[in-house]
Amino acid sequence: MRVYRDDQKFINLRINIVLWVTVGVFVFLAGSFWFVQGLQAEKYRTLSDANAMRELVIPAKRGLIMDRNGKILADNQPAYALVVDRVILKPLVKGDKTHKDKLFTFVCSVLGTTPAQLQDRWDKAVANAIGMQPITIAEDLTLQQVASIQSQAMGFPELNVNPVQRRNYPYDTLAAHTLGFIGEATEKDLANRKDLKLGDLIGKRGVELMYDDRLRGKDGAQYWEYDSHGRRLGEYRPLRKEPQAGDNIYLTLDFELQRRAEQYFIENEFVGAAVALDPRNGEILALISSPEFNPNVYSKRFTTDTYKTIASNPYKVELNRSIQGLYSPGSVFKTVMATAGLATGKLDPSTTFDCGGSGVFFGRRFRCWEKSGHGVVNVERALKVSCDIFFYNTGARLGVDTISEYAHDLGFGQITQVDLDGEKGGIVPSTKWAEDKQHRKWYPSETISVAIGQGPLIVTPLQVAVMMGAIANGGTVYRPHVLRQIEHTNPDGSVARYRAPAQVLRQTKFSPNVLEHVRNGLWKVVNEEGGTGGNARISGLDISGKTGTVQVIAQSGWFSTAGLPFMERDHAWFASYAKKDDPQMVVVVFVEHAGAHGGTDSAPLAKMLYQARFQDQGTNARLNLSDPEVLEQIKEGKLPQPGVAPKEPAQPANSALGH
Amino acid sequence: MIDRRLLPSLDLNFLGTALVIGAIGCMLVYSATFYSDPTGYPLNTFHKQVLWMGIGIVLMLIFTFIDYHVLFDIAPITYGIGITLLLYLLIWGRATAHVHSWIRIGGFQFQPSEFMKVFTALMLAKFFDSNDRAYLNFRTFVIAMGIIGLPVCLIFLEPDLGTSASFAPLVGVAMFFGGIRWRVWVAMILIALIVLPGLYFFVLKGYQKERVMIFLNPERDPLGSGYQVTQAKIAIGSGGIHGKGFTQGTQAKYGYLPARHTDFIFAVLGEEWGFIGVTILLGLYLFFIVQALTMAKHARDRGGTFLVICLISFFIFHILINISMQIGVLPTTGIPLPLVSYGGSSTMMFFIAVGLMLNVDMRRFVNT
Repeated sequence: MRVYRDDQKFINLRINIVLWVTVGVFVFLAGSFWFVQGLQAEKYRTLSDANAMRELVIPAKRGLIMDRNGKILADNQPAYALVVDRVILKPLVKGDKTHKDKLFTFVCSVLGTTPAQLQDRWDKAVANAIGMQPITIAEDLTLQQVASIQSQAMGFPELNVNPVQRRNYPYDTLAAHTLGFIGEATEKDLANRKDLKLGDLIGKRGVELMYDDRLRGKDGAQYWEYDSHGRRLGEYRPLRKEPQAGDNIYLTLDFELQRRAEQYFIENEFVGAAVALDPRNGEILALISSPEFNPNVYSKRFTTDTYKTIASNPYKVELNRSIQGLYSPGSVFKTVMATAGLATGKLDPSTTFDCGGSGVFFGRRFRCWEKSGHGVVNVERALKVSCDIFFYNTGARLGVDTISEYAHDLGFGQITQVDLDGEKGGIVPSTKWAEDKQHRKWYPSETISVAIGQGPLIVTPLQVAVMMGAIANGGTVYRPHVLRQIEHTNPDGSVARYRAPAQVLRQTKFSPNVLEHVRNGLWKVVNEEGGTGGNARISGLDISGKTGTVQVIAQSGWFSTAGLPFMERDHAWFASYAKKDDPQMVVVVFVEHAGAHGGTDSAPLAKMLYQARFQDQGTNARLNLSDPEVLEQIKEGKLPQPGVAPKEPAQPANSALGH
Repeated sequence: MIDRRLLPSLDLNFLGTALVIGAIGCMLVYSATFYSDPTGYPLNTFHKQVLWMGIGIVLMLIFTFIDYHVLFDIAPITYGIGITLLLYLLIWGRATAHVHSWIRIGGFQFQPSEFMKVFTALMLAKFFDSNDRAYLNFRTFVIAMGIIGLPVCLIFLEPDLGTSASFAPLVGVAMFFGGIRWRVWVAMILIALIVLPGLYFFVLKGYQKERVMIFLNPERDPLGSGYQVTQAKIAIGSGGIHGKGFTQGTQAKYGYLPARHTDFIFAVLGEEWGFIGVTILLGLYLFFIVQALTMAKHARDRGGTFLVICLISFFIFHILINISMQIGVLPTTGIPLPLVSYGGSSTMMFFIAVGLMLNVDMRRFVNT
């Protein structure tokens, strides 16, 4: 049917050439698309996401810190941060060169800062930001500031007020040294810990630092989609990563004991430390260092001025005196001397020395604090009246190396391994210590000073508490700790709890007989007429303890130092436990420059804590808020309102930091 | 005019392929513009494209059933009208300083240069129908080049480099199928080597030169002119094998991809339908081209063969140039993807071309 044309061959050849060239090019194009879509898909997928999506961190809620009864000591409060979206800012500055100046003038007028301060904050935020992420230029806006910013929202679309969570310590200074505080991760932190990113808030001190990994949780992320004009369109849900809240921590601290002890220091304007712990497991019930700081100040990104004020405070508020303060133990150390003497057999319960007010040892005359002397004393009476002459003789019999050995056994000269940062180990001298550390020979006369807790011997209040715990519980040295329980909420909502176990550091090998005599002596200190710790006596509780007074400046004779300037006054110790036959709590109180005997300034606090622990069960336990009587008492201010800081707590003059 | 006996000869495969490609085009136009519509009022872009396609199909049927010999007869008239419109645009555009390549009628505008492609193809096919020598001599070569060169010059002066360049396949057809001896080929290539650099330095405008430079080095200015190719490649690459899904392409949806409903619509396909979608559309185009070339072989007369070759050469040229520029194989030019890109004039023109090819194929048997 078809017409044969004479040009058919010519045309068909050329059509076939066109056909095959076309097929070839199509195959080449398909290959090129395979190269882009098959092999480089991941690279372009990333670029595509970077185009349209920006990651915003959803900060994880930091775990709560509570006392042993669940009273909240650290939580999170909503706050407002001022954030600049640079994606929106960029075209605005391009369109109006003066826009950034206008923005700065406005922000400075709202925040009350200088342009230089703002620029500084800005530069740091830009350096910390990943890509074009929004930058935070101010935190903790007041509601008034939020209102002024929002009224100007039309002129500055790049400004956003974002709700954030701020760490809050509802009782301000309460247990500040134990809780610690948080702050921005430094470059050093970032180098050490790979899971951190710039701008993260992490624990810097105390429990916040020690258990930071548990408290911090895992930040989530949300992805916002933007169009090519930089307008935010909405969240891209499939990529959202929910934040994982940090674990809650229950401390071993007892809010009521802690509060009363702090109140005691504040009311008396005392500088010092106190420790209450459970001798049966090492749980710390109260840990006080006075003066205290307000950790709420730190949870803001504070200016350098605030930091300088705190650092230059003469009372060293940041020092946690209970674990970092190094002091001579004074007569408290006589407990160790009595134990060592009896355990080595250099003393026996009937060994007596005659105290005439002074004695000569190794060619030097040493005085007893009682000028008139104590007469003939055995070990129990020596503890009761704190006779120096008795323990000078004990020291001379034992020698410094034996003293050192027993002091180490009871926890001195080394850290107690408490779960807090910056703990100091103190010094327990020995001949070896003199050679290694001092490059000199040990003089036997120095042993006489050590025997009454003076000389190079220095200890922390917590070490004294651990020693007292071992004496009380029959010789077991527990690791003191503040962690009671960690509460982890799994993604499925179930709660896993980890209970901190009691850890035995050492089991000393004193015979029960040895400790029996030491404990008798300590009981007499408080409970017999003429004992130095009578101020702590509570009938029925059988409190046992040892007082100590540490001379700050060398004095030729013994006289009252009450009239001396503050810095030259003596330190006062009281180390104790109760009950005698069923020890449940150790209390160590140390007051710097108290100006009076240990029994006068320190013992009353111990007494108060024992009362709180053993007698006021009602306030010690968690408040029963359904009880109308309890509610009435809260209303009248007799009981602290749960979850709210006590109104205007009395601040000591020397720690007027806070806000 | 419509002879019922012709209907069984209508190639439904070819027609079906064109309609499927057109339907894919409408879906892509929807996907590219549903989120933020660049034209919008009174009809949105997708609706307009559906309308264009509808008009295109009607025009296609008209150009299928009017015997192409009749169209050859009136080819000089249609060609003349096209040239007149181009001249009008050029003179009126210059006079009012409104340089446009389109004419507005009512609410719609159309580009005479697109329709000029069909008119020129008809004119050229008519010329070769009457010139049945195997090789062109100097006189016939000049006439063939004149038929093509006149509209190209007018469009180039508008100035619309992309569209004028899209007449290049006709030159290729004239020389390759019209028949030129190898000595002439060598001479042409030599002249081209001399003329092209001269063209680049003295004739091309700044932005046109810039496009060539960016083609040679796409990373040169990623946020400037190279931005288009970069974003298109991101769109295509991020689609991967399976694509992000219909209307799920962030590059297309959020406006990162420029000219996403016109020149770069293929990148939308790559992003949302992935390599699978790309392969399917490439396959459809190849099937379409193979069928058209077969039609050219089987055409009843020399004029029919040349008409199909001229028209399918437009398709091949547009498809290859457009798809190549998506991933930076060739420089960015304003060349639409046949039957897929948004655009009234080009959609209508390509459907008319489909109709003309069906027309030739339908009448491949003697004594119709």
